[in-house]
Amino acid sequence: MGTPESTTSGRTLRARAAGLTDQPLTLLTVGVFWTWLVVRWTNDFLLDGALIERNTSFFPVGPFEAAASTLGALAASLGPVGFPVRWLAGFFEFLAASIPYLPQLATGVWATILLTVLGIALGFLIAVPLSVARVYGGSATRLLALGYTELFRGTPLLAQLFVLYFATPLTTIIRELPAVGAGFIPAQAFWVAVIAFMLNSAAYQSEYIRSALNSVPEGQLTAARAIGLSKVDGIRHVVLPQGLRYAIPGWSNELVYLIKYSSLASFITVRELFERTDAIASETYRYTELFVLAGLLYLALVISASLVMEYVEDRVAIPGLGTTSR
Amino acid sequence: MSDPLLELDDVYKSYGEEQVLSGVSFEMDAGDVDVVIGPSGSGKSTMLRCVNRLTEINGGDIYLDGDCITDADTDVNELRKQVGMVFQDFNLFAHLTALGNVTLGLRKVRGMDKATAQEQGYEHLEQVGLLDQADSYPAELSGGQKQRVGIARALAMDPKLLLFDEPTSALDPELVGEVVEVMRDLAAEGITMLVVSHEMGFARSAASDIIFLDDGQIVEHGPPEQLFQNPQAARTGEFLSRLETAHEEE
Repeated sequence: MGTPESTTSGRTLRARAAGLTDQPLTLLTVGVFWTWLVVRWTNDFLLDGALIERNTSFFPVGPFEAAASTLGALAASLGPVGFPVRWLAGFFEFLAASIPYLPQLATGVWATILLTVLGIALGFLIAVPLSVARVYGGSATRLLALGYTELFRGTPLLAQLFVLYFATPLTTIIRELPAVGAGFIPAQAFWVAVIAFMLNSAAYQSEYIRSALNSVPEGQLTAARAIGLSKVDGIRHVVLPQGLRYAIPGWSNELVYLIKYSSLASFITVRELFERTDAIASETYRYTELFVLAGLLYLALVISASLVMEYVEDRVAIPGLGTTSR
Repeated sequence: MSDPLLELDDVYKSYGEEQVLSGVSFEMDAGDVDVVIGPSGSGKSTMLRCVNRLTEINGGDIYLDGDCITDADTDVNELRKQVGMVFQDFNLFAHLTALGNVTLGLRKVRGMDKATAQEQGYEHLEQVGLLDQADSYPAELSGGQKQRVGIARALAMDPKLLLFDEPTSALDPELVGEVVEVMRDLAAEGITMLVVSHEMGFARSAASDIIFLDDGQIVEHGPPEQLFQNPQAARTGEFLSRLETAHEEE
């Protein structure tokens, strides 16, 4: 809960903490990133390579190579003091070397995003009842919810992926479903990963939501009951709308984690960003360039997620309630 | 002679070893305004919360309009539609505007559509003089305004009985007046009210009866003139004079 100012005067007078949305350069970079992604995906998945061939980059390599060699020559002529120019030449070399792989990585980014979004969204649907059970349930329900949470938080996500992929018939079942593996709909391993992330993330999300529910004053539910709402309706209409707002900052954290943890899906052959990077690198031996590039793409995804959450937080903000922590 | 609107019959309540209410009995008729006074810890708030079953009693019976409401098979949500409550610390729904606070029960308990509920919500806000604050959130309201919204929220359910649990004790002194004024208006309109409060001005002018509760028992029960001017029990007199001194010091 906020400072005295925020509880008495509300949104208008509260000095809003600076966020990512206030930085034009960040917005521009994220804008360029997403434009590239969307054009790439549309071309590859929907238009069947109508704009440009599937594995051909939008950006020509030539100018970057030329810049790199010109700068390299310049650096050589400058001798020992030419090192900053040498670095700049290295940067262009990096770009020239990376560009050919961008199309394949964009496909990996698609899988990473889909994996994360589905995992967190489906996990959220489980996390809400789970956290309510933890806070308001009877002793049996509480224990059940606690058991679930501890099981999925207490064992490695990778182990969960392996168990679901190798030890259950999930893969076989999903493979038989129509449309799986066609076009931009990923193959069965992907869906197994979605299920694993859903189950695992639900446990973590429920912890964030649980502590947020605990910070809703008890009098809120009492007042809801006093006007004749049942306990369930009181939780639904009074406690959750407040608790979920309190949960946003912590929950955003889980989203950021999941973007990066989704790389574990590569271990069960999901062709997401990390798997693509690794596969190309082992073919081309350009490990440094590719993993730096992958890191930058993950960073862009994380910043995009933070931007979205900042926007959401602002949109649902209510004077005197919740999240001034930014 | 018709049934009393509310009847407490030998009500007992304890928390573990601690006896909070020890055989409380009284009746009030429709239109009555009864004010409960007594030292802190005497069981006033507990008694109030027993009436809408936010607290469950251990012994005795409570009747509302002739129906025993402390039976195990009483639908508490049904009961609470008929008994409104105003809280000491307001407990306004923090995520809803003043109007939202007043209409939540109408929509989710009474099942009204949004437009009808809002129409009624505006009426109740007008009743407490807060029509212009309909779109304000609780954090944007003063304490007195919050409590008036709390009253409008309880009124909106059209209850047979309104319970007030120390409605002015969390307020700055200069904000007490506006809340008391609203309560006085309600009393004058004939709304049945059971009020836990030490607002003596209100008790003198609006109460039908004063109930003096001490140590979980009703020590004295009578019209304000009698109780204030000619208290029968020694404890009542002592308590009143202490209250008097406290007020003079303010």
